This record gives sequence, C-alpha cells and structure tokens, in this order.
Amino acid sequence: MSDKDTVIVTGASRGLGRHCAMALHERGYRVIGLSRTSKGDAPFEVRSADVSDAKSLSTALGDLKRDKSVFALVNAAGIASMNLVITTPPETVAKIINTNLIGTILMCQLVAPAMIRRGNGRIINFSTLGVPLAIKGEAIYIASKAGVEGFSRAFAREMSPHGVTVNTIAPGPIDTALIEKVPRDKIDAVVSRQIIEKQAVPGDVLNIVSLLLSPESSMISGETIHVGGA
Amino acid sequence: MTVGKDGIQKFISDEVSMLIGESDAKIGADTPLIGHNRVLDSADLVVLLLAVEDYARENLGFNWDWTSDSAMSEARSVLRNIGSLADHLMNQQPA
Repeated sequence: MSDKDTVIVTGASRGLGRHCAMALHERGYRVIGLSRTSKGDAPFEVRSADVSDAKSLSTALGDLKRDKSVFALVNAAGIASMNLVITTPPETVAKIINTNLIGTILMCQLVAPAMIRRGNGRIINFSTLGVPLAIKGEAIYIASKAGVEGFSRAFAREMSPHGVTVNTIAPGPIDTALIEKVPRDKIDAVVSRQIIEKQAVPGDVLNIVSLLLSPESSMISGETIHVGGA
Repeated sequence: MTVGKDGIQKFISDEVSMLIGESDAKIGADTPLIGHNRVLDSADLVVLLLAVEDYARENLGFNWDWTSDSAMSEARSVLRNIGSLADHLMNQQPA
C-alpha cells in the first residue's frame, strides 16, 4: 500500500461499510466514505450521494475519475427487507434492486476508469450467504445479491487486463443495522445452516477485505468468498 | 477554436498505433475499432477511450460520454472505425 492510496467505501455511515471505512482509515488509507446522509463524526472524508442515482454519484465522485490514487472500491451499501415476494410492494422491490445491484454497477462504472489509468486496483462487492442458502423471506434481496455475484464475475474478466481484481464477499448474518429487526431465532436458523455454525463478526469480514486489498491477492479475481461457508 | 477532423484523426491514429505497435502508415480513417476486423482487443479499446476522453476534455473543450446502447454495434457505433470516431468528436465540439 502506498500512503497515498485512496479507498472508496459506499454505505460508510453504518454497518459493514462503516466498519470497513474506519478500519481502512486506521490502517493509513485515504478513505472516502459515501453515504446518503453525511455524518459529521467520521474521521475520514465523507461525501453524500445516492448509489442508485448515476447523476448524484457523478456529482459526488466525478473528480476521482482521473485520480490515479484511487486504489480500491468497497461497495458495502445495501438494503434489505424481509418479506414474502407476494407481499412486497413493487416500490420496495425496485428500491432493493436499485440500491444493491444497480448501485454496485454504477459505482464500478464510475470508479473503474481511475483504476485502469493507474494500471491496478481492487474492487470488493458484497453479496450474502442467502444466495447459496436460499433463505425464505429474502427472495428479492437474494435476487439483487445474486445479480451482484454474476456481475462481479463477468466484470472481473473485463478488468483483468488492467490489473484490477473484482471479488465478492458474501457474509452470513452479522450484527449490524441491516438485520437489527430480524428475530434472533431466524438469525440462529441461518447460522445453523452455515458450514461454520458460528455467527461471524465484522472483524471476520475485515480480514477478507484486508486479504483482497493486499498484494498477495493479485491472483484472486471473479470469486465469491462465503464468510462462514455455504 | 475548434480542432479539425484531420487533427482529431491523427490523435486517434497515433494512440491506436501506439497500442498495437504498428506504424502510422497502416492506420487510417477506415481502420476498424470494433467488429470482426478490429485492430484492438477490448482492453486496448478501453485504454483508447480513456485517452480520447482526456483529449476531448483538454483539447476539444467538452466532456465526452462514450456510453451508448449502440457502442459495440458494427453498423451504428461511432466506434466503427477511426474516421467515424473522429467525425463524432468533431461534431461534439462546442461552437
């Protein structure tokens, strides 16, 4: 890592995004956190934008398109809504897909040129163990994340000649704001279906983020890493 | 002051020439950038687009947006060949 390397983290105001942004800031990266609402207490630079809105992203991050210090993008912004498919309003379906899948794609489109100009880089997207586990009540969330996995695998091929790796981290339930309203018994039921029947903590995800940012991961691309195993 | 087609085409030709390691003599307006007979692979095409984007911004006075539903269409794309791309850029210049 060069001490001038910039890492862009979406969803940086809470949850895994916040954990990643804080940890990477503490490790000496220049972190630019992106969130819908900018929080004043972050020790890293925070910019406000909606990841599902291309215009909003371009306004917030357009200056980075030619910035060769941009080394990594961590797409941690995400929303979920536990519900049956037939009882989910169409507006909620669109919001989940737009934030989780379209937001990931738009961020990659916006940031990739800087990495191509630089000649290397790391893109880390987020999925969920729900994809391989096919958890009931999360079909739309899972659809959005399965899309992220497929996109990441194909995009990894496009970026490979430019020295940029694209990988996906798929955690099980982690105690963050994303699942704060999910009943304990439902979380336990998911954890019991993991290969490692133990609930992961943010540090477990950060370890994988660190690996994927490290020079040692230069031959890992197009992969989905399941935290806890599935 | 607007830049003429020849100047734009020369910039693109030089970039293509550098990317494929061929002399300028073999590169011209009809050199295809996409399709079956393209001279660049997709990775080099992306590098060319970034260079053209910088050129448009610094020399032609506008921010070029290359996203288009027909970007990879051999029949309709402005990327068909060097000449079509030069025409497109020339017409995008602010008056």
